[in-house]
Amino acid sequence: MKSLAEFARRVRMLLTREQFDREMDEEMRLHIELREKELREKELRANGLHETEHAENGLSAEEASMTARKNFGNTLALREASHDSWGWAWLEHLAQDLRFAFRMLAKNPGFTAVAVLTLALGIGANTAIFSVVYGALLQPLPYQDASRLGVLNETTPKVGTVSVSYPNFLDWRAQSHDFSQMAAVQDVGFNLAGVTQPENIRGEAVSPNFLSMMGVRPFLGRDFEASEEKPGTPPVVLLSYALWQSHMGGNRNAIGRTITLDGRSFTIIGVLPPNFRSLDRTDAMLPIGVWATNHSGEANDRGDRGDMVVIGKLARGVRFAQARVEMEGIAARLAKEYPASNDQFGVALQSIRDAFVSDARPAILVLFGAAMFVLLIACANVANLFLVRGAARTKEIALRMAFGASRSRVIRQMLTESFVLACLGGVLGLTLAIAGIRGIARLIQTDMLSGASVNLNGAVLLFAAGIIVLAAFIFGLAPAMHSTRPDVQSELKEGGRTASASAAQNKLRGALAIAEISLALILLVGAGLMMKSLYELMSVDPGFRPDRVLTMEMDLRTQQYFKDPAILNFWQQVLDRVRALPGVENAAVGTVVPLTGNHSRTDITIEGMALPKPGNYPHPDYHEASPGFISTLGIPLLRGRTFTAADRQGAPLVGMVNATLARQYWPNNDPIGKRFMFGHPDPTGKKPPKWITVVGVVGDTKLYGLANPSRLEVYVSALQYPDSDMNLVVKSRIAPAALISAIRGAVASIDKNQPIFAISTMNQLVSESVATRRITLVLLGLFSALALVLAAIGVYGVISYSVAQRTHEIGIRMALGAQHKDVLRMILRQGVKLAVAGVAIGVIASLGLMQLMSSLLFGVRPGDPLTFSGVAILLVFVALLACYIPARRALRADPMVALRYE
Amino acid sequence: MVRDEIPPGTLHLLILKTLARRDELHGYEIARTIQQNSEDVLQVEEGSLYPALQRMLVKGWVNAHWGATPENRRARYYRLTPAGRKQLEIELSQFRRVVGAITRVIQTA
Repeated sequence: MKSLAEFARRVRMLLTREQFDREMDEEMRLHIELREKELREKELRANGLHETEHAENGLSAEEASMTARKNFGNTLALREASHDSWGWAWLEHLAQDLRFAFRMLAKNPGFTAVAVLTLALGIGANTAIFSVVYGALLQPLPYQDASRLGVLNETTPKVGTVSVSYPNFLDWRAQSHDFSQMAAVQDVGFNLAGVTQPENIRGEAVSPNFLSMMGVRPFLGRDFEASEEKPGTPPVVLLSYALWQSHMGGNRNAIGRTITLDGRSFTIIGVLPPNFRSLDRTDAMLPIGVWATNHSGEANDRGDRGDMVVIGKLARGVRFAQARVEMEGIAARLAKEYPASNDQFGVALQSIRDAFVSDARPAILVLFGAAMFVLLIACANVANLFLVRGAARTKEIALRMAFGASRSRVIRQMLTESFVLACLGGVLGLTLAIAGIRGIARLIQTDMLSGASVNLNGAVLLFAAGIIVLAAFIFGLAPAMHSTRPDVQSELKEGGRTASASAAQNKLRGALAIAEISLALILLVGAGLMMKSLYELMSVDPGFRPDRVLTMEMDLRTQQYFKDPAILNFWQQVLDRVRALPGVENAAVGTVVPLTGNHSRTDITIEGMALPKPGNYPHPDYHEASPGFISTLGIPLLRGRTFTAADRQGAPLVGMVNATLARQYWPNNDPIGKRFMFGHPDPTGKKPPKWITVVGVVGDTKLYGLANPSRLEVYVSALQYPDSDMNLVVKSRIAPAALISAIRGAVASIDKNQPIFAISTMNQLVSESVATRRITLVLLGLFSALALVLAAIGVYGVISYSVAQRTHEIGIRMALGAQHKDVLRMILRQGVKLAVAGVAIGVIASLGLMQLMSSLLFGVRPGDPLTFSGVAILLVFVALLACYIPARRALRADPMVALRYE
Repeated sequence: MVRDEIPPGTLHLLILKTLARRDELHGYEIARTIQQNSEDVLQVEEGSLYPALQRMLVKGWVNAHWGATPENRRARYYRLTPAGRKQLEIELSQFRRVVGAITRVIQTA
């Protein structure tokens, strides 16, 4: 209470400064006058004289006045001290400093402009990158207790991380104690008879406790019930907020209505909240019981690992490490119990945050570090500017300190200047960042960061504010402390020139320039290595020819396609019509297209091989492909033949293998004519094996990405193994995009309700597959270019100043007979010393730092000599160029003028 | 006539006590009263009164208002608040404690 009233009094005083001063003056004046009167009266009484008479000796009116004033004290200082008692001194000093700072900055527009622009670049770059850091790595996920959520997969040494089978999930859930809850999440897709054209939507079939486990409540309607886990569950669905808006008009009456998916009616029981995020795109969510009803084969086959992951919530007090050990134990038990399906299958567990971020984290951190380097270089440049200006202001500072300003007061004032400058730079930097963030958001495809929102939000603004303050200290403190050193006092006594050429200051500026060059070198080396990586990556033979090839997916899900003949008939019609389109060179369908991220794998048994343990069977990717698939994609045929129309139902089963498989399993023989079968042979011998005869060997394709090695692949004829979910690949004579609407028309003429999705050209897929590295290269290249320019400016500044200081000396040398080239050499030598020192330090630092980037590199070692030497030469050359201009200027000076230069 | 300076930290005490005795005084009167009551021993550097008075205004130990002197001059009159009276007690007891301690130290021969 007391302090509140006190604060109120203080605030009131703040608003009435002028009145306060006037009243204090009046009060003190009265005091002095009364004292003056008293002194005179005392003197008069002492001399026995009356007031009006003039005393011969004694205090006259003036003397009394002077004495009274002297005894009173310095009214100005007392008024200030009285004012300060109210506790607003700091605020007034701040206002003073700000006014002074603005005045100073306005007086030197050139300095201000350069400093502001430099800072804007540094601050803008950092803010833009931080928006990605925050969105991908720091922003809290919209789940409750997200730190206790984990994603579980199965693992196999043959492939790595794979999906989970439903029976395994049920056993995991039953047997785990470290996880208090688990939920299965199965990827599903549906054909939705759309508003304008049919669409394929993606969704998740989940265990009923999934949403409650994550702490997510439906925005409308109800969550799933525990009973909706069993097969036979009536078809119900939760819509995503976006789908509800687009297809149900955001109408609250949608609850209870039905939506037609795959030609079947699903009852809408609710809507997911608008900020809901899951690992994959979720337009619709259904209970796993509905999926189990329609996929009873998969749901009960322990060895069928389609597209399911498991989300688990750790029990209280349990750590991931502990839970991992428990799950591995459970997996080992299941492997013993069900060797046929589980042999050598383990468990992989990662936190849900890691699952969301996955591969992007190293790239994001590298870019964040790079942006920081740019900021440091920018701050070094501005600090250099301040040092130069500080040297010019030495007299002013000395004067101020002589007048009684404490050193800390002057430093505070200079820091205020730095802070104002940093704020101006920050505001400009923010506008740059807004554009930058938009650019970055466009570069990043939506699924790369699993729906992270990259935008300018509160956290990013807070970061920008922090960076501004940090920058102000980095470039402001050292020059401020340097300029107010005690020996600055001696400046006042020196007549004539200020000792601006103090050795310490020159050394400091040189050190800053060297630091800038080192940082720039590190960034350039990083960019160079990335560039080389990307070049190496793009040089990798993908195993197919992507030019002018279009790919798109169709999933025949409705009732009419439940039988093979209908499926075959559809694909045949599609191929016939598409092949007939003008501009189409070839067309085919296949279940797997390289670089789409879709994989189908299975065990196979090679005829004649010794039967291995259940976990050690060959485990290739398999394709069901129509005739023409190999040639449309441009996969080389190495031996034998590809499929023809003759390889159809009733004809002998044929297959193709890739070179790696042929090399591994028939190293010394001709694979043509050899046989294999899918799965394991029936141990009881009751089921006769369905042998497939190899008719051709094709080249390897990089199914798993250009950076990953090729694996085993087998192809079977789509006519003999029809599949309802296929990709159409089309080789075009013209630009592929032009064909899309024609193809849509062709498909629509066969089945107008059949959606086409995942439309892309193969070149786009190749480019997207290296997207993380490509984006990193673009941004890193941008930052290193910035760094190079800023470092060059830094070197230019240092050399330019040094040359200006040595003008007198240069004049003497030239008057004594030095040639132009001697002077030039002298100046350039200085620059070379800076550059070489900077390069040396930078190289040493890079050798260490580039190791951190190794996960991003491909085909190039972190210490690649070519890149290092190339960048070093570039930097030295740029530094020399930056020296050349001031050198030229020095040479043009008339020696006589230079001699007279003070 | 040489007068002793008031010991540091006691200015508030003196002002508070002076105001406690009299209803309200203006700055000059306070200075003169202190001087008189101390029988001319203590000399207040007169200007230092005013920052001290301002500090007491901030803390709410005194109130001030503009009034007229007997000679009809405008002057700021200060008067003690209840909080000021409490503060006076605090400072008095503190002063007595300190003086008592010093006395004890110098008395032990």
